[in-house]
Amino acid sequence: MSDDTLRMLRDSAADFATLDAARVRRLRGTDPGFERSMWREMADMGWLGVLIPEELGGLGLDLRASAIIAEQLGRALYPEPYSASAVAATLALLHGDNAGLKQRRLPQLAAGEIIASLAWQDERGGLDLDQCAVKLREQGGARVLDGTSRFVATAGADGYIVAARSAEGLELHWIERTAAGLVCEPELRADGSMSARVRLDAVAAPAHARVASAAAARAALQLALDHAMLAASAELLGLMDCALDMTLEYLRTRVQFGKPIGSYQALQHRAVDMYIQKELTRATLGAAVVILDDPGCAPERRAAAVSSAKARAAHAALAICKEALQMHGAIGYTDEYELGLYFNRALVLSAWLGNAGAHRARYASVAALP
Amino acid sequence: MTTMKYGVEQEQDWNALPDEAFRAIVRAEVEAHHPAELRYPPRRLRWAENKSWYLRMAAKGWIAPGWPREYGGMGLAPTKLLIFLEEMERWGIARFQDHGILMVGPILMRFGTEAQRRRYLPPILACEEIWCQGYSEPNAGSDLANLHTEARLEGEDFIINGQKTWTTLAHDASHIFVLARTDKTAKKQAGISFLLLDLKAPGVSVRTIRDLAGHEEFCEVFFDNVRTPASNLVGELNQGWAVAKSLLGFERIHIGSPKLPEYGLQVLLSVARARGVERDPLFRDRLAQLQLDVAHLGDIYGHFAAIVGRGEPLGPEVSLLKIWATETFQRIADLIIETAGDCGGQAGVVEMGGERIELLAPFYKARPTSIYGGSNEIQRNILARQVLNLPG
Repeated sequence: MSDDTLRMLRDSAADFATLDAARVRRLRGTDPGFERSMWREMADMGWLGVLIPEELGGLGLDLRASAIIAEQLGRALYPEPYSASAVAATLALLHGDNAGLKQRRLPQLAAGEIIASLAWQDERGGLDLDQCAVKLREQGGARVLDGTSRFVATAGADGYIVAARSAEGLELHWIERTAAGLVCEPELRADGSMSARVRLDAVAAPAHARVASAAAARAALQLALDHAMLAASAELLGLMDCALDMTLEYLRTRVQFGKPIGSYQALQHRAVDMYIQKELTRATLGAAVVILDDPGCAPERRAAAVSSAKARAAHAALAICKEALQMHGAIGYTDEYELGLYFNRALVLSAWLGNAGAHRARYASVAALP
Repeated sequence: MTTMKYGVEQEQDWNALPDEAFRAIVRAEVEAHHPAELRYPPRRLRWAENKSWYLRMAAKGWIAPGWPREYGGMGLAPTKLLIFLEEMERWGIARFQDHGILMVGPILMRFGTEAQRRRYLPPILACEEIWCQGYSEPNAGSDLANLHTEARLEGEDFIINGQKTWTTLAHDASHIFVLARTDKTAKKQAGISFLLLDLKAPGVSVRTIRDLAGHEEFCEVFFDNVRTPASNLVGELNQGWAVAKSLLGFERIHIGSPKLPEYGLQVLLSVARARGVERDPLFRDRLAQLQLDVAHLGDIYGHFAAIVGRGEPLGPEVSLLKIWATETFQRIADLIIETAGDCGGQAGVVEMGGERIELLAPFYKARPTSIYGGSNEIQRNILARQVLNLPG
């Protein structure tokens, strides 16, 4: 993929994805919390199929393209579940071992006809795949799923890719939202979006809907999660950049004691520290994208690069938003001011798929440490 | 006009080699010949200690990797130069008092006369003349343009009076380049000139300053009616500020290298092992945080190195590199003495848990990094005004 292609993608994404604060506010706390019409527009732009091969209805581009889109969506605070569906769920399906399911579902995902979400964590959350609380068992000659999965990113998804433990090991299964025995309990997040606790009680798990067998599931799930963590980091980069710009503009124009407050050195130096955090995030994210785009990249190296980036992005976004709030003073703490939208999204994306502490721990466990 | 030949002929055109082949040649050279006892020194080495290595480099023609070949350098393109410097750092090779190579040479190539280049470049390449930098003064630190050392043109000579301070390794140097005021009526930066002078000239006295760590690395230099020929003026009269400023970007990327923080992490790991806390979850989290801080320094250093590699100028953004590198090093040094516990107050090489560690060395080394090369407060001012466009 040439630099020109990337530049064009960035420009078109920036033109398309601009902040519509009224829309973001209107969708908060609603079910599903995003717009299908917007999702289809994103599909028309090709974004939902960026990581899907051309023969399956996608664009077949690499992670650089996906990171550019995620960053722009982060800037514009899109509530549509790009990283959760077009990256996480899509890649789990793509790297599974069910060719028929891929043929059927990936073109639908690329076209924006359906939205999917991974269901893999238990009540406690965390990054350990073995903590999965959903189990596969035999019932009357068929296989069924029992158990609960929490922190499912998109309550309003049409299908969930559920991680479940079987006698053979971890498997992934495509379960329709409307499946008998499935109960989806939405949980409100800080930015007004809905994650879900998905309860499964003897939900049928037929072989044709098995996304990945035990032979492929663990690797597929981890790869999908790693890419989604990076996409979330890119969204965080976009939003922290906007929160910082907004704050700098405020520092230039807000006058107190007869001078713009940005002329005071105490605030200037803190603004520089915010800028440094943002630039560190940009540099480490860029380095991680290059590592992940290398087809020969070992899983440990991928994990270290991803956790490095997510640890920085999660910390930097929160640090910048907190300082932004302080520098704005009381207006920054109001709901009517846009800073709060960035602030609340930063809380959600920092916590989703592992916060800074969780990723430091994962980095420590995979990088060369004592 | 005869063509002046500077320095030693190069064995080959290094830039024609693939990067990894060049890296292998440099690595083989340092691993075969660099004295093991000089690796990772805990303080600046004196010339008497490391001159055997640098004289060898000079004889090989490797003393000035970044200079063009026509001036006796290796002529390395930016990418090759970074590889060369990385290999020196990887092997823990300490810099010498290399202001002649890093500053005087490039300045003379850009602003000097042909006669100045013929006079001064060959002894720099041979390490026969060692240079130090006369910038700071007692009342001109962060506000460098407030300098008061004056140079008065009298016949064929400048007469210099005043004082420089914090002059690193002046007691190892034979020459000094100074910023001196040549027009007291002009405003600040406008009346300053860039002069070269011999430290053996009558009227120069050098006094060492003992630092907090007990080392004598920097000095005061006094000028009492010191004469230097007018031909030692570099650039135009009263244009010295522009000459000095032209090298600041390079200095900041150099101070911003991950080398010192990486050395700090090595010491931190030794201390943690000696104290038996390397598996403690709290320690591991703090260590991981610092390792990520260093890794991200490496990422952003790579970004700026790539700009240099493309031959593009560094903008004021490079100041962030200096801030992050030095403050990361300081956080690591802080954790070293905290982890060392009761040993954190012991001077010199300390025995702990069966290991011998000079654990205060990184701490002492880290403190002045946020002061020299333009204090971090000045760097933040630069970023606030020139990058973030905040009002003055």
